[in-house]
Amino acid sequence: MASVELRGLTKRYGASAVVDDISLKIEHGMLVCLLGPSGCGKTTTLRLIAGFVEPSAGEILVGDRLMSSPQRTVPPERRNMSMIFQSYALWPHMTVAENVAYGLRLRRIESGAIKERVANFLAAVRLGDLANRYPGELSGGQQQRVSLARALIVEPETLLLDEPLSNLDANLREEMRFEVRRLHDQYRYTTVYVTHDQSEAMTTADLIAVMNAGKIEQLGSPEEIYDKPRSEFVARFIGASNILHGKNVDEAHIAFDGAKLRCSGAKLSSGGMTSLSVRPHDIRLSAAPISGAENVVSGKVIRQVFLGGHRDYVVETAGGTPLRVVAPAEQNIAPETAVWLHLPPECCHVLVG
Amino acid sequence: MSAASAKARPRAAAIDLSWPILLFVAAALCVLIVLPVSWLVYYSFTDHAGAFTFGNFLRLATDATFIDPLVTTVIIATSVGAICCLVAAPMGWLVARSDMPLKRTVRVLVMASFVTPPFLGAIAWELLAAPNSGLLNQLYSSLTGAAPGVHLFDIYSLTGLIFVIACYTFPYVFVLVANALDRIPGDLEDASSILGGNAWTTARRVTIPLVLPALLAGALVAFLQAMTLFGSPAILAIPAGFHTMTTKIWSLFQYPPKPELAAAASLPLLVLTVLLLRAEAMILGRRGYSVVGGRNSDPRLVRLGVLRWPALILCFMLLLNPVFLPYGALFNAAFSRVPSQLLSLQNFTLHNVDFVLFELSATKLALKNTFLLGVLAATIGTAFALVIAYMTARKAIPGHRALGFLATAPVAIPGIVLGVGLFLSYTRPPFVLYGTLWILLIAFITISLPSAYQQLQAALRGVHPELEDASRILGATRLQTLGRITAPLLRTGVIATWCFIFVSVIRELSAAIMLFTSETKVISVLIFDLNESGDLAAISVLGLMMLAITFTIVIAANRIPGFGGDVRLRNA
Repeated sequence: MASVELRGLTKRYGASAVVDDISLKIEHGMLVCLLGPSGCGKTTTLRLIAGFVEPSAGEILVGDRLMSSPQRTVPPERRNMSMIFQSYALWPHMTVAENVAYGLRLRRIESGAIKERVANFLAAVRLGDLANRYPGELSGGQQQRVSLARALIVEPETLLLDEPLSNLDANLREEMRFEVRRLHDQYRYTTVYVTHDQSEAMTTADLIAVMNAGKIEQLGSPEEIYDKPRSEFVARFIGASNILHGKNVDEAHIAFDGAKLRCSGAKLSSGGMTSLSVRPHDIRLSAAPISGAENVVSGKVIRQVFLGGHRDYVVETAGGTPLRVVAPAEQNIAPETAVWLHLPPECCHVLVG
Repeated sequence: MSAASAKARPRAAAIDLSWPILLFVAAALCVLIVLPVSWLVYYSFTDHAGAFTFGNFLRLATDATFIDPLVTTVIIATSVGAICCLVAAPMGWLVARSDMPLKRTVRVLVMASFVTPPFLGAIAWELLAAPNSGLLNQLYSSLTGAAPGVHLFDIYSLTGLIFVIACYTFPYVFVLVANALDRIPGDLEDASSILGGNAWTTARRVTIPLVLPALLAGALVAFLQAMTLFGSPAILAIPAGFHTMTTKIWSLFQYPPKPELAAAASLPLLVLTVLLLRAEAMILGRRGYSVVGGRNSDPRLVRLGVLRWPALILCFMLLLNPVFLPYGALFNAAFSRVPSQLLSLQNFTLHNVDFVLFELSATKLALKNTFLLGVLAATIGTAFALVIAYMTARKAIPGHRALGFLATAPVAIPGIVLGVGLFLSYTRPPFVLYGTLWILLIAFITISLPSAYQQLQAALRGVHPELEDASRILGATRLQTLGRITAPLLRTGVIATWCFIFVSVIRELSAAIMLFTSETKVISVLIFDLNESGDLAAISVLGLMMLAITFTIVIAANRIPGFGGDVRLRNA
């Protein structure tokens, strides 16, 4: 039973820190997603955990074993981990069965037992009849399942996944997301999953760590990350979001476009500037003035598109800020029309980052 | 699926071998490269008594017997560079970008001239165009009835030498140009056409600028090859009464030997080579050569129309010179009673074959030495290059950059210069290897190391690092991974490299000529010796054997070294 803990983990190449003082504790059996744009350090973090890269500072513990520190790094082969690679990394000179059996052979398990377990595992990932094929003869989805089987058959304490689904087409990707989650629930290893795809993270993860520029911007459940983004980066990266800037009026209000907006989240300091995030579908659009309500901003429609289930509006406020609004399909307002927007206070999140 | 059995951890790794290996490889590289070059520099700055002096260089700069060869070498190298471009560029274009028939055949024939040892070509051209006995000259006088002594060609001349060198140097330019043209996606030209460029504008504004760097680099390589070549000038220039730099350096080792002067004369050659290679790297490293972006479409072929067959005839006419005529002459001489007579039923004989194989005592020894050296150099060289390529490609240890640099450094040391350096290094204690096969082995490994290294590094780059990572994370140590994953995946690359080294050892002359003794002759040296004694028939038999072995191996390797890869065969 092993948790994975990163303490002040840092990796520098020359002067630039690719991974910058990351601390994160993953309890046993959790599935954590490292989510971020390319170049944010998520893959380096994963390779640090795997032991392919040595940290410049900080340490990595699995359970209570110290795995990595600048002084000493346990090599990957002695970490009892498994990894699934973006390229699948199936060995082209071995058959499917040989690929899957590789880890067991290294563990000097008796060959009859290997055979049986490989057969069981291949059946579990629905590849039983392809055991003697070579990887080059398989489709992308089949290759992916071979790489899953190869990684899981050694029953690792920790499973690492590096953008495992990015080479699959959209349908298969959806299917494999649930497959990854199902296998995780079945075997309950600690899983670290790296991806740049937010919906992939949303569907699979217990916890999401949004990374940017080598740091973790926010750690939380998918719901927390989506509903209460802490920084502008997280708000923009996870789903579409409108960002509003305004001067602080008191500890709960900012001035925006002549209106006073009440917001939720952190208390505001006096005299500063604050940014808010509002999701497009939280904004209520009205062709008539809304009286008596707080948090109303006026503007005019710039353009709108009909998307079947809803309409997507861009409204420019009196002060010139474009806002995206998702409105019901039947609410059809022509461009250049004056409109009023209601921004519910509980949906106006103060961004601290 | 039970959890119990698999929980067993993989066995702990054995001792970490990377540091001892690094130290060993670094030390070996130093012995191979730094040692001879250091002795070279040391000797060039000392006099007979071992005192420091600039005298050697002063003499080189003032003595006409040194200045003339230098001027001759520059003339030869420049002319060869220009001729090669003139011949290879149109031919490369025809093969890569036109609908000329028999393109594959033309490529194969260029490859044949590529692997023909230049000294063998030079000897074949002696048979063809020696002033009186040459077959072509005989043909000329029998056709025109010209008086004896009047001849059409004289191969023993500066122009003759330039011609022969160009014959076996143009493939270098051809390969670079044809590869560059192969790599330009047709889309780039289509994009120009759709924007309104006609065929000529497209060629002028898009295609030619894109291959120009390759052509320039090719010209530099041709210059370099012509400059450092030893065999052809030794065979053709010395009878004509002039020297090039390489033959001059060689003559300084004839009795009475003047190693200090030879060392001093080698240094400019070394410096010039380094500069030319840097220039080449700069030209190729900048824009244009590697075409970036997207999926590559097939190159677009230009329709030649009625010119298809004339174009092919032109190619074959050009290929007469490096391939058809010389091979014919060698074949003729091998089976004819008199090498300078055309083969007929009357003068057909197997005597030459019999003589070379059974009577000439030197043949057996030379064959044995050549094979022994070839197998050893290929095996050790491949293993050595593989270790270095692995360490640099995977950045396995600190200091890998320095290793890569050292492994490619010998490319800048011309064979003759390396020969001088090794001679100076190993004729004195603590390492007295002169007179043994070891010194030749060292020379051959050093010479083939850069290409072997580059070839294997390219092969390693084709093996995705994640394939190795996957093995590590599943519990294999670095060495286990190397054995079970990396090595099997590199098999074809390793075999190709082995064959490549073997072939270059067989054809190597310029370093061997400095280092052989009567007991350590190799085939190339034997051929050179037989040429001095005028035994052209025996040479032809040996030469054909040599070509047969070479072609067998090249075909067996099923990969043509240098065609497609960045591999470079050295001239002998």
